[in-house]
Amino acid sequence: MRITDSLKLSSSAIFRQKLRASLTILGISIGIASVVLLTSIGEGIHRFVLAEFTQFGTTIIGITPGKESTLGVSPGVFANERPLTINDSIALKRIPHALAVVPSVMGNAEMKANNRSRRSTVYGVGPQMPEAFSFKLSTGRFLPDDDSNASRAFAVLGHKLKQELFAEKNPLGQKIRIGGNSFRIIGIMEPKGQILGFDLDDTVYIPASRALNLFNRESLMEIDLMYEQGSDEKKIVNAIKKLLIARHGREDFTITTQQQMLDVMGNVLNVLTFAVAALGSISLLVGGVGILTIMLIAIQERTSEIGLLRALGARRNQILWLFLGEAIVLAAIGGFAGLIFGYVGAQVLHVAIPALPVHTPVIYMLLAEAIAIIIGLVSGVLPALKAAKMRPIEALRTE
Amino acid sequence: MIELLDINRIFQVGDQQVHALKDINLTIQNGEYLSIMGPSGSGKSTLLNIIGMLDQPDSGTYHLEGKEVTHLSDNEKSIIRSSQIGFIFQFFHLLPRLTAAENIALPMMLAGISPSERQKRTNKILALLDLTERAHHKPEQLSGGQRQRVAIGRATIMQPKVLLADEPTGNLDRHAGHEVIKILEQLNQQDITLIVVTHDPELGERAHRKIKFVDGAITIDTGTQS
Amino acid sequence: MSISDLLRFSFAAIIRHRLRTALVLIAIAIGVASIIILTGLGEGARRFVLGEFSSLGTNLLIVLPGKSETGGAMSVFSGATTRDLTLQDASSLKRHPQVRRIAPIVFGAAEASWQQRSREAPIIGSSSEMLSIRHWSLAQGRFLPPGELTQASAVCVIGKKIAEELFAQTNPVGKNLRIGDRRFRVIGVLASSGRTIDLDVQNIIIIPAVSAQNLFNTPALFRILVETRTRDSQEKVKKFIINTMKSRHQGEEDITIISQDALLGTFDKILTALTLTISGIAAISLTVAGILIMNIMLITVSQRTTEIGLLKALGASRYQIQIIFMTDAVLLAIAGATLGLFLGQGGNLFIHQLFPALDNSAPTWSVVSAFLVAICTGLIFGAMPARRAANLNPVQALVHH
Repeated sequence: MRITDSLKLSSSAIFRQKLRASLTILGISIGIASVVLLTSIGEGIHRFVLAEFTQFGTTIIGITPGKESTLGVSPGVFANERPLTINDSIALKRIPHALAVVPSVMGNAEMKANNRSRRSTVYGVGPQMPEAFSFKLSTGRFLPDDDSNASRAFAVLGHKLKQELFAEKNPLGQKIRIGGNSFRIIGIMEPKGQILGFDLDDTVYIPASRALNLFNRESLMEIDLMYEQGSDEKKIVNAIKKLLIARHGREDFTITTQQQMLDVMGNVLNVLTFAVAALGSISLLVGGVGILTIMLIAIQERTSEIGLLRALGARRNQILWLFLGEAIVLAAIGGFAGLIFGYVGAQVLHVAIPALPVHTPVIYMLLAEAIAIIIGLVSGVLPALKAAKMRPIEALRTE
Repeated sequence: MIELLDINRIFQVGDQQVHALKDINLTIQNGEYLSIMGPSGSGKSTLLNIIGMLDQPDSGTYHLEGKEVTHLSDNEKSIIRSSQIGFIFQFFHLLPRLTAAENIALPMMLAGISPSERQKRTNKILALLDLTERAHHKPEQLSGGQRQRVAIGRATIMQPKVLLADEPTGNLDRHAGHEVIKILEQLNQQDITLIVVTHDPELGERAHRKIKFVDGAITIDTGTQS
Repeated sequence: MSISDLLRFSFAAIIRHRLRTALVLIAIAIGVASIIILTGLGEGARRFVLGEFSSLGTNLLIVLPGKSETGGAMSVFSGATTRDLTLQDASSLKRHPQVRRIAPIVFGAAEASWQQRSREAPIIGSSSEMLSIRHWSLAQGRFLPPGELTQASAVCVIGKKIAEELFAQTNPVGKNLRIGDRRFRVIGVLASSGRTIDLDVQNIIIIPAVSAQNLFNTPALFRILVETRTRDSQEKVKKFIINTMKSRHQGEEDITIISQDALLGTFDKILTALTLTISGIAAISLTVAGILIMNIMLITVSQRTTEIGLLKALGASRYQIQIIFMTDAVLLAIAGATLGLFLGQGGNLFIHQLFPALDNSAPTWSVVSAFLVAICTGLIFGAMPARRAANLNPVQALVHH
């Protein structure tokens, strides 16, 4: 029998009882909709987090002091008898394909300017920070490339810090006292936002050597190296290792590439999205049970039809596919409806809660439909087999 | 040609056994017009079902056109039913969700025949059966007589060699019944074997060969008299 | 109609179509069971985390150098500030009567070696009180000696893993461990605390605070731990700490205090919210089950039209017919929920076998709510079919077949 004819026969059976079919379809569509909605949220969060991370560019390698890692942060960051120095960061500039090297120290301090005071973050960095982190200057200039032993007491304000301390006044040329030391403000950064709890706008940027003095530290907390797009990351990592081992005598540092972090993060988020999809699938399971039940009833009701078809010469297989077809069509329509509900629902949610990112990749929608069809297949198989096995005589006996 | 040799059929009803067919021996030539009569429960419908291969005998053999078909696979039986046998039932058994034309075309659909070919043949049969105006009506919109005519159309669309009719006029009024019997006899005249099961003696008398069934056995067989 | 008659009537109707009923029960059971299993897991996680935390003692306050005015200053946790927390600061906090103990913490990493073996390890500089504050115990030897905080001595206590990796089969107690460029005599080995959230106790080395400051060449403390006598005295002690530090730091409030309690509270809220969310998602499946109930009941009503017509002819009112069908729906829901309860508890037991450390018994509130939701589902989705049955025209119904 032709597939188109088989499908037509199946569909005509379904649409004969509109309410029943609608309810069955509704069941599946709720399941699909919740899966699509939840994974949209998961995918949205995934993209959002990745975007947050990659806003600094993906060609960055981070070097931190110390090798042992407790809870993901190396204790060497806090105190180490073998420090990571500014001279280390200057030496790293020599590595082929390295475009920018940024030493960094971060801490908390009280700052006073324009007769106002505020406690917030001090970020000691090198002159190449803006280009390495794609972080642009808004007015003035950034820290100059001074000799690290004699770096001038200059400071660059983050956008929010400038607002808090100076409101609309121009801070350039003014003095700011940080932890008791005086710095001259030479620039203001563009607003950048928060990343993972670090508010880059509520920060003052000073030379790394000055920050080390301020916090009474010997070691930098991190050195970031930005390399040329397209270069071999592995080679660069090895070059860094060689250079630092030569300078330190051994490998007392940790190298993390942006890609590594992205991969780890990506995996975690994928697992979360998957878990959330599994949750939604519970509804799908119940929807499948629904199709199974309705099809069983349908077959009970239509025994004489089955007998008739057999009398007309229909083979067992044809009966099987007729009823299986009904289950699949029901599920497919439910899947399609659920897809639309889920997608629209995700968009509505995003409008209602703009902070919640959503994204529904086309492949998820196709997958959802495919899953729906598979559910139809699986839940329809038992009833269809039952129908096919019916002996024509038994079927025709009922009126 | 239909040849039944020592056919037996036993049913399990509750905790009792019913011997519906006892050592039936019957040979039917092509083109015969046969009626099978008897009280209800005598086994005549069972015989019809065996001939139509809807049911399997417990012992004995069934030869159709010289070939033994008793133990064919389900698929093989289906093919024979589709191409060689047509059924007509007392309660019509039309699919309520299909139109008259679609009901008639159903066997062709099952056989995988193309829609254009189906349309051609259906239109021809609709004309022959005087159903052209009713072609797109659903069964619930047809009278009893019209429904049985649709059933006849469906039974004959694949040009079978045998027509099996189980109480074809049982659910019809006299007039419609007459019309249906006329059509069936016309078909018989085109050399299609016609076997009618009935307990209406008037209907039974019209057949050329009359078989009487009592308690699972043939008591009278008037043989191939014209 | 009496309740027992009603129940008997419904029961007979339900078991007439066993397969159909069974499937509807399964549908409801899946929903209820998943709620029970998921809330069990969520509660298990919550209990686990809270249990771990409270075994640390809930009277703990943690003082950090640095203070933040905005939400986004994780910089406080980096520990770098312009004005350090000193050992003198730490000692000064002992003075309050409600303070039972204090311990300073210096935190960093260094290379530790003995004979041929070496490895980098986290180094904690603290005092003798650390042992009790952290509820640790010793596997061998003794902890840091009590005495003035400003007393340096070249002794250390090491974790089990450090002992295994550096000393193998040899007894580490009494041996000289080289840390950085200095030597420390091992006086004790820490036992595993059995708690997973603890600082990886097996991998640390503890030396006196002053020695750590010398080693890392910094006068600063990473944290100060303060244990109060009772939970209620926490607020008082907090104020005391802030005032003391202010006066010691030229009137500047440049510290942050975290209370274990507040941390616990936050965790509790987060985990509870998580549990509710995932159960809520699971509960969507009950809606789907409800739709199935409606569907089946509509079919049943149309199959029982003759029966309904008969009942009406015998004098049953619309209301009574409705009650009959609603009872069917509610009975189905209750039966399904009961089945789900068994399945859910069974599932929880099974998971418990796999993870004995997890107390994942479903909380009473979730079992009760699952049941209530199931019953409501039956009521809501059974209402329409019941009304349809009630509104059937008895004459038509009796003639129908």
